[in-house]
Amino acid sequence: MLQMLESDLRDLLGDDRVLSDPLERYVFSKDAGIDRGEPSLVVFPHNTAEVAAVVKSAKKHGTAVIPRGAGTGLAGGTVATTPAVLMVVTRMNRIGEVSVEDRCVWAQPGVVNLDLTKHLTSFGFHFAPDPSSQSACTIGGNVANNSGGPHCLAEGTTANHVLALEVVASDGEVFIVGGAAPDPIGLDLRAVLVGSEGTLGIVTDVLVKLTPNPPAVGTLLLAFERVAEAAAVVSEVIAAGVVPAALEMMDQAMVEAVERFARAGFPTEAGAVLIAEVTGHPMAVEAESRLIRGIAERNRAVIIRAAADEAERDDIWRGRKAAFGAIAQMKPDYYLHDTVVPRTKLVEAIESVYEISRRHDIPMLNVFHAGDGNLHPLMTFDASEPGVRERVAAAGEDLIEMCVKLGGALSGEHGIGVEKRDFMPLVFNETDLDAQARIREAFDPDGLLNPNKILPEGSRCFDFGRPPPEGAWV
Amino acid sequence: MRAVPAPPGPPQVVPETVGEAAGLLADASAAGTRIRVRGGGTQQGLGYPFSPDLEVCTAGLRKITAWEPEDLTVAVEAGLPIRELEDVLAERGQTAALTERPGAGTVGGALAAGRSGWRRFRYGPLRDRVLEVTLVTGDGRTVTAGGRLVKNVTGYDLPRLAVGSLGSLGLIAQVCLKLWPLPMARATVGVSSAEEALSRSYRPLAVLETERGASVFLSGTPEEVEGQSAALGGEVSEGWDWPDPPAGPLRFSVRTPPSRLRSIVNRLRAAAGFAYVAQFGVGEVTAAGRAEPDFLNGLRAQAEADGGCLALLEAPDELRERVDPWGTPPASLPIQRKLVSLFDPDRILNPGVLPGGL
Repeated sequence: MLQMLESDLRDLLGDDRVLSDPLERYVFSKDAGIDRGEPSLVVFPHNTAEVAAVVKSAKKHGTAVIPRGAGTGLAGGTVATTPAVLMVVTRMNRIGEVSVEDRCVWAQPGVVNLDLTKHLTSFGFHFAPDPSSQSACTIGGNVANNSGGPHCLAEGTTANHVLALEVVASDGEVFIVGGAAPDPIGLDLRAVLVGSEGTLGIVTDVLVKLTPNPPAVGTLLLAFERVAEAAAVVSEVIAAGVVPAALEMMDQAMVEAVERFARAGFPTEAGAVLIAEVTGHPMAVEAESRLIRGIAERNRAVIIRAAADEAERDDIWRGRKAAFGAIAQMKPDYYLHDTVVPRTKLVEAIESVYEISRRHDIPMLNVFHAGDGNLHPLMTFDASEPGVRERVAAAGEDLIEMCVKLGGALSGEHGIGVEKRDFMPLVFNETDLDAQARIREAFDPDGLLNPNKILPEGSRCFDFGRPPPEGAWV
Repeated sequence: MRAVPAPPGPPQVVPETVGEAAGLLADASAAGTRIRVRGGGTQQGLGYPFSPDLEVCTAGLRKITAWEPEDLTVAVEAGLPIRELEDVLAERGQTAALTERPGAGTVGGALAAGRSGWRRFRYGPLRDRVLEVTLVTGDGRTVTAGGRLVKNVTGYDLPRLAVGSLGSLGLIAQVCLKLWPLPMARATVGVSSAEEALSRSYRPLAVLETERGASVFLSGTPEEVEGQSAALGGEVSEGWDWPDPPAGPLRFSVRTPPSRLRSIVNRLRAAAGFAYVAQFGVGEVTAAGRAEPDFLNGLRAQAEADGGCLALLEAPDELRERVDPWGTPPASLPIQRKLVSLFDPDRILNPGVLPGGL
């Protein structure tokens, strides 16, 4: 069956855009996370018609299709778990004409996030979601994962910045949802397509909302002896009626790693560093910066430094976004976690992270989107050490359980993928999961779009008329 | 549960817990009882008409179940009137930024109808602010999705999908909303041109034009509001002087890309006699007045050609016969139909009301 599909796809795309060699398939067997699985074929469509033709062909042969952008995902969302065609959309990277008046532009899924923002600079706009991987990750991946980034505290995640989607449905038909006009009539399918990790349709074009560049920006680097003091500043700033553009925290271990790697000028002796950025009207930026400084002083900040110019601001953000690159210098392997708690539970969550780190003897460095309670504990290890993988897995499980107990959820911005799908019952009961599975069924009745992602097997538990899938735990 | 004597029309029931609502819908589904869901009754004119066997009113579900001021989140039962919620939130200087002139409107009603307030230009549409939802599906399942967290990608975003669903996925029973701090200072500035004001102000709350003139609504620190007001150069009044939504037996909303709004507004002005509120920067105008079917169908043709729509919010029966309440159904109708059938298999909740007669 696969051979027939391969032959169809070679006819369709040409030999140079269909990979089936074992080494090539191995290269595409993982994303930036820890899961691995080789696709049967890797294809590189150039346009929507080709995507549709691939989907139709795969459907005819009963083979799954998995869309993939740059592969910077961290939850195994593009890792094959069954025979599957991996559809790499990076060559679909056209940016349409910028509509200044309607504040939007069509961008294909292969456009790199930072390239889009650079393209928009001269128009006075940017694309607000700014994941740390923004110099590599694609708009398609951002849509699939509903990606965030430091600046989504005030601006919201990708879902808030998508006006329309062109989608290839599971039957290969192409349709558009949404548009530049507000509030389309009928059910707003954009709602579930964004963040669906390629399980509901394959996005082939995205009308993104453009955010005006702020007339003024104030960036403060604040250092504290203790993490709890930095966390108190976060709570007090929000309670004072200010929602900054970003509120980012790093603990001492992370700051040390970043400094060795990026030399951004962070104080390595501090227990915690907080980056607070306020944007907007110059007068508002001044007033809000003053307010944050005051709150930091009351919480015994040992350093309060304002970026004097664009270069100093860039240094600060370069340091923050280098956090994951910095890890490579410490141990050969890392596992970056992503969980979320109500922001009022931040201190409790951080203390528990340290406790879990000690219990499993796995070093954890911490960087948080503190303003919205999104934790990113980063475990470092050497996978060649016997037993270490099991300890990492157990620590990861403890982290998830701890966050759920504090009223949190499984993922703030990286997605569920294969990594966390079996934890879904921790936050949803079987009726809730069944409803999620029904959404999937409405879009993809045969389950051929990125199967085995997001929902644990057997989620569609109320459907007694259908035999459960193999290995289901019903 | 109370049975309430109702004016001519279907009998009405008022469940007082989510469990009661679930039992009610399970029974109705089994019996094929067609149900109209009612919140404050302010959006009942939307969509295709149908004759319900029973009206389920959410007025008995009106508790604030969890308010975390430091998290800027609030969880409420859907029958809570918007006005009551905003009054409570204001005591701690917060707002859900729901419709500013809600009348008797409820939180659930605003969600079901997908109506954002005037402040959406700044805070985004309502769907950006719904963090968690509990729905009672047509067949009586109680389904929760999302979470009481400001950032969360755990599972499909059913809370967002529920916005504008008009009960087709289920009765919206509880929701958790993202809140915003009320600004320290507010002002309304009268201006001569909405477009010019829009281009000259940095992220105002709203730029609205009515048949009486245009205004910019500002918020922020006192210095910023004062600075922006002075720069706009119009008549400044302290606070927000929100317009009342246009009222009358015929009300409709035209949505277009923002750059095409002026042309629609000009047609309304030329026709004379319309009360309207146009949201510049957003691309929506809500209007009320007297209109011939041909005029409305012409306006719709223009809006649809630009990628927008014209939706009737309220209309006399004789007009409905000649003006479709929604216009051309969306291209994704087959998937929408499938979704609705999986959430409400016996199609008892507001059946046929949505575009395409879903």
